Amino acid sequence: MPPWVKPLGVTVAFLAMIPFAVIARARVTASPDPRIHIIRDMDNQAYFKAQSSNPLFADGRAMRPPVPGTVARGEDELDDHRYRGTTPDGATYVDAFPEGLTVDAALLERGRGRYQVFCAPCHGVAGYGDGPVHHQALAAINRGRPGMEWVTPTSLHAENVRGFQVGRIFHVITNGVRNMAPYGAQVPVDDRWAIAAYVKALQASQRTED
Amino acid sequence: MSWNAPQKVIFPRWVDPLVKLAGAGAVLGGAYVAMLVAYGASPKTLDVGYAPEQPVPYSHTLHVGQLGLDCRYCHTSVERGPHANVPPTATCMNCHTKVLTESPQLAPVRESAQTGKPIPWVRVHDLPDYVYFDHSAHVTRGIGCVSCHGRVDTMDIVQQVATLSMAWCIDCHRHPERHLRPPEEATNMTWAPPGGGSVEAREAFGRQFRLDHKINPPTDCSTCHR
Repeated sequence: MPPWVKPLGVTVAFLAMIPFAVIARARVTASPDPRIHIIRDMDNQAYFKAQSSNPLFADGRAMRPPVPGTVARGEDELDDHRYRGTTPDGATYVDAFPEGLTVDAALLERGRGRYQVFCAPCHGVAGYGDGPVHHQALAAINRGRPGMEWVTPTSLHAENVRGFQVGRIFHVITNGVRNMAPYGAQVPVDDRWAIAAYVKALQASQRTED
Repeated sequence: MSWNAPQKVIFPRWVDPLVKLAGAGAVLGGAYVAMLVAYGASPKTLDVGYAPEQPVPYSHTLHVGQLGLDCRYCHTSVERGPHANVPPTATCMNCHTKVLTESPQLAPVRESAQTGKPIPWVRVHDLPDYVYFDHSAHVTRGIGCVSCHGRVDTMDIVQQVATLSMAWCIDCHRHPERHLRPPEEATNMTWAPPGGGSVEAREAFGRQFRLDHKINPPTDCSTCHR
């Protein structure tokens, strides 16, 4: 056997390891490059999934918003009590829960969960207006970050807030107030009532009679 | 008619052992190529680790890890429908009308809020279009977000951590007990059963939960290919 066969074999064996090393590295590193699908099958079909984009429309949305004024069947939301927390004339807030909603432990438990998701970030778990977002905002102000127009969240145990009717609490969640954004789009109607019930319970829990 | 006899080729003597080696080389080479394709084309190589650049450098580490926002604060439809929505710009503006209102990184968010044009977020997790998947069916039956999406609360840039391959789906449909937890803990990134976070403790909890709640994930073709 000539002398070059052995070094050649070693070199080939060494070079053959390189693709594996490259792949092993690719497996443990993140990459912003698009995924490679060698066999495409029908991975991407000519239809639009939820929230995908469609350049045919000026705003780029594949999902089309309903024409303004559209009312879905069964969603006329004419019941002022259930959907706005007010009396039919809109003059005062109701202090009762809408028909068909039973205030029981299950509703309060639902309200507790939803409160912790949507309200506690600012109002705090116990409702004193001291949630983690508030603390982070204060820290950002202290560090001198520009564009901080933060306003301390309202304590749910403030004297005037304690006196709110459940209808008013529901109304504030739905439409927002002053610096608080509306949450009607994020929280379904029944969940908003559950949160209102839980806020009432929270207020009662923090109140000791003199 | 003249005919040229082929020239006689005389191989040197050292070729003889190489001829025997060539057979072994063909077998080895074939195995090498097969292994390279299996390793290189596996979803673990091609799909895991996908972390696209987003139009706004939104950090889940900050918003979830530090601020403690629940997944559902933004991804509101995850318990109610198949699709876990990317939030509308209005959700960002709940806070960012008051917080960091001059940040240049948030300029696309402010522009979107003003014009009503959506922010072109890049989708990270994308199943093939012939697969039906329903988030609500999983989240409300005790599969936590972390099982498929990983520790999103520590991701500055969201990246895919699971293969999302069919073998991966079916593995969990056959052995869901490794991933089951109380549905109210679905969004908890660090939940562990009472006995601790070991695989045995999780499986013990999952087996009991599976019995109690009759969790029997189907493995028929039509479950996902409908």
